[in-house]
Amino acid sequence: MTMRLFINGEERSAAVHPLTPLVDVIRDELLLTGTKSVCREGFCGACTVHIDGVPTMSCLLPVIAAEGKAVTTIEGVGGPGNMNAVQHALEEHDVVQCGMCFPGMVMSMTAYMERRPAAPRADIKAAMSGNICRCTGYERIIDALLSIAAKEDTTA
Amino acid sequence: MSRTADPAAAVMDLPRRDAPDKLAGRTRYTVDMAGPGTLHAAIRRADIPRGRIIRVESGVARQMPGVRAIVTAQDAPGTHGIGISDHPLFAGKEIRYNGEPIAAVAADTLEQARAAAAAIIVEVEALPPVLTMAEALSPSAPLVHEGWKDYGVLFEGGARKGNIAWEAKVVRGDTDAAFARPDVTIVEGCYEVGRQSHMPFEPRAAIATFEDGRLHLVTSTQVPWTVRAVTSSLLGIPSSQVRITVPPVGAGFGLKFDCTIEPVAALLAWKTGRRVSLANSRQEEMATCLCRENAQIRIRSAVTTEGEIVGREATVLMDCGAYGGEQIFLTTMTAHTLGSNYRLGSVRLSTRAIYTNTPPNGAFRACNGVYNTFALERHTDEICAAIGMDPVEFRRRAVFRDGSIGSTGQVFEGEVLVPMIERMEALKQKSGSREAEAGGRLYGRATTVGSWFVFVGPSAATVNLNADGSATLVTSGVEIGSGTMVQALPQIVAGQLGIRPQDVVVKAADTDAAGYDVGVGGGRTTVSLGAASVKACEDVLSKLLPVAAEMLQTSQDNLVLGKGRIEIAGRKGSGATIASVAQRAQALHGPVTGSGSFTGQGVPSMAGCAMGHFINAIDIPIFAVHDCEVAVDPDTGHVEILSYKVVQDVGRALNPRAIHGQIQGGVVQGLGYALHEDVTIDAKGRIAQDSFETYRIPLAQDVVPVEFELFEGAPSIGPLGVKGAGEVPILNVGAAVACAVANATGKPVSRLPLTPPRVLGLLVSDEPPLDHPHIGKDWSSNVIALPQSVRAG
Repeated sequence: MTMRLFINGEERSAAVHPLTPLVDVIRDELLLTGTKSVCREGFCGACTVHIDGVPTMSCLLPVIAAEGKAVTTIEGVGGPGNMNAVQHALEEHDVVQCGMCFPGMVMSMTAYMERRPAAPRADIKAAMSGNICRCTGYERIIDALLSIAAKEDTTA
Repeated sequence: MSRTADPAAAVMDLPRRDAPDKLAGRTRYTVDMAGPGTLHAAIRRADIPRGRIIRVESGVARQMPGVRAIVTAQDAPGTHGIGISDHPLFAGKEIRYNGEPIAAVAADTLEQARAAAAAIIVEVEALPPVLTMAEALSPSAPLVHEGWKDYGVLFEGGARKGNIAWEAKVVRGDTDAAFARPDVTIVEGCYEVGRQSHMPFEPRAAIATFEDGRLHLVTSTQVPWTVRAVTSSLLGIPSSQVRITVPPVGAGFGLKFDCTIEPVAALLAWKTGRRVSLANSRQEEMATCLCRENAQIRIRSAVTTEGEIVGREATVLMDCGAYGGEQIFLTTMTAHTLGSNYRLGSVRLSTRAIYTNTPPNGAFRACNGVYNTFALERHTDEICAAIGMDPVEFRRRAVFRDGSIGSTGQVFEGEVLVPMIERMEALKQKSGSREAEAGGRLYGRATTVGSWFVFVGPSAATVNLNADGSATLVTSGVEIGSGTMVQALPQIVAGQLGIRPQDVVVKAADTDAAGYDVGVGGGRTTVSLGAASVKACEDVLSKLLPVAAEMLQTSQDNLVLGKGRIEIAGRKGSGATIASVAQRAQALHGPVTGSGSFTGQGVPSMAGCAMGHFINAIDIPIFAVHDCEVAVDPDTGHVEILSYKVVQDVGRALNPRAIHGQIQGGVVQGLGYALHEDVTIDAKGRIAQDSFETYRIPLAQDVVPVEFELFEGAPSIGPLGVKGAGEVPILNVGAAVACAVANATGKPVSRLPLTPPRVLGLLVSDEPPLDHPHIGKDWSSNVIALPQSVRAG
């Protein structure tokens, strides 16, 4: 069955079963491999994409549920040369290690920081609990995210 | 300054060049590389822990849609191993663990491959398994390897017998005399830890193709040369016919320090003539994880009232699972993790790798050291309680000083641990206590020490100084996330050549391009690849500087390198750009290239002390002091970490910011180990945890920011005085948390992890101290055979 998707502003189609997990369509059919498929049960957050702007785990979502909605993957939020504020802060604070969790982390925290740019440390930690990282021990990621608001304060 | 570059030139907080792509999802890991047209592979695995294979019938499966090839033990009859060649690629006649590969299928799609793998008929006769080390050591236990005597031994010297896959021993001095002294207190304890699963986000994955008759494996590994050797041996092809390349690795932590699924992908590519991708599912990854091994330890010490340890005896049992693997080598480490931190008048150590019918274990960050440090530090606090001495004061008195002798007789140089303890005391003073945050809960605190080491091993590097003034560094190093390949190495090369680190191109590992390397692990990467890189740079300069001297009409000794230029000393602006000198050198003699090799020269130990050890003395000791404050909820048994502090011996900190990242990440991995990462083996010999939900690794809300200080200047044979910094942060976390929980509860903490039910059990019950009946109280009952001279003593 042909599924029609709006991904990163483009209309794309894929001939797959409608119940195929969205992450598999994104990675295997559309070859957008930035989204990571790690636990495949909605626990680690590495496959997070935006569906109509809302962070969603794409491993749990059948592709048919994304039809007609705007899907944004990590490839759609910015990259070298035009990184968004979250990516920029994470780079500047040297927090990346193996990097596998970061696409999902960036998707979750980009939405969160847009909604709550001045969130305190404890709230950011709570918001990050759906994104597991095995390398970094989290705290330096949180330092980086806190710096976004601090920077806006000084530039305002 | 001329040829000897100022080490400080390599010190900087260089950002990671791979961060922008990793943050944008552009980095392609092995799991991202299958692409269209690639066959997918699936493995049929055993579902019993021990049995005889009567029949494997793949005829029906072979006819299923999309199936291109099926391989079994008949296609790869050989064995491999570290120390002992005991491990077949597929179970042929015998099944030795639940999850062991029996066959593999390549098909057009992953679903087709999995369906066909499930359809292979496997007829087995189940046999009673040996699931625990206690069972394995019982005289009536079945042998996990009935043919153990016939295996090829790849390294001589270890004692072996039945289910004891390997035994390493240390004997120095007369412990019998020490324990018989009238002026000593004798303290004895038993300790136990479970397994730890690595949970790298990228599972083990490999893509195999045959190109111009040669095998090319793209794989997520820490050890390209091991994969090359093992795969060629199992396929029966010359190792020169195998090429290994390694994209960025989505973390390893030691899991990828062995060859595992690569030969399976290679066999299927060979059979089909197609490109074959094989990646473990998360469930397979966890079921066959080469975990940090479960271990059981008994330690006995004779200590004077002044805190002098006159005798120590210990036995460590390490579960290697169904095959020896890394544990054979790791038995070596007890000599250093239990024997290279406290001064011991006499010592006897026995470390045994035990076969069981469980999934094989492997290497995990600070292997062996993490639980031996836990056992040792709990034991140390029990000694302090027995002789009535403050734990920090005891450690001040008893730890290594300049000239102290390790268990194998190695002499340790420099005052390191005592000043590190003082640094920790000052840090504790400065930060104050968090006791008030414990509220109504039980508060505890502990400071622990630990010793780790770098086994340097061989590394090779080539540096091409290009005519544009940039350099290309070619090694077999792999970027597993620690930053070595994107920070430490380009910083070192840039510092040596006087160019910017961003002008040092670092080639990803390719065994067709770079020389041999042991692999990325054990804290050796910056040290060994760094040392080889320094030598390659020296080779480059030996070709470049004569040309520069001639161009500038001065002697080589007058030349200074920096900022992309070669200047005459004391005359800024007098010289030429490195690019122009490189162009001149290229015109005169050809392109400027340098090569460098490195390996440890060996460190003396006392003859006859160590038996069955792969190395008798350690190239680079690394010490760590950790401090932890906890609050224990007496109603739930939940342990909250209130603060965590680290003083780490780093030699020279090349990139302090990157080291901070390693310390925060390593400590948090240790907190998971200490508190809630719990691997258990069920009645069918399976690892019971199969997901992120059932195996609980730390989440953001579980952790605290780690306060740390880097202790620089301790002796190191590493280039520019460096030591590995990424391995050691996890070393004494289990120890510090356990000692703090014991301090909070007043109970003997003898097991990790300290899950709430276990802590609650400690609080409410008066069970007797942990004992291991299968580890004899008489140390000599825990060794297979001793040399006559020692027995007589």
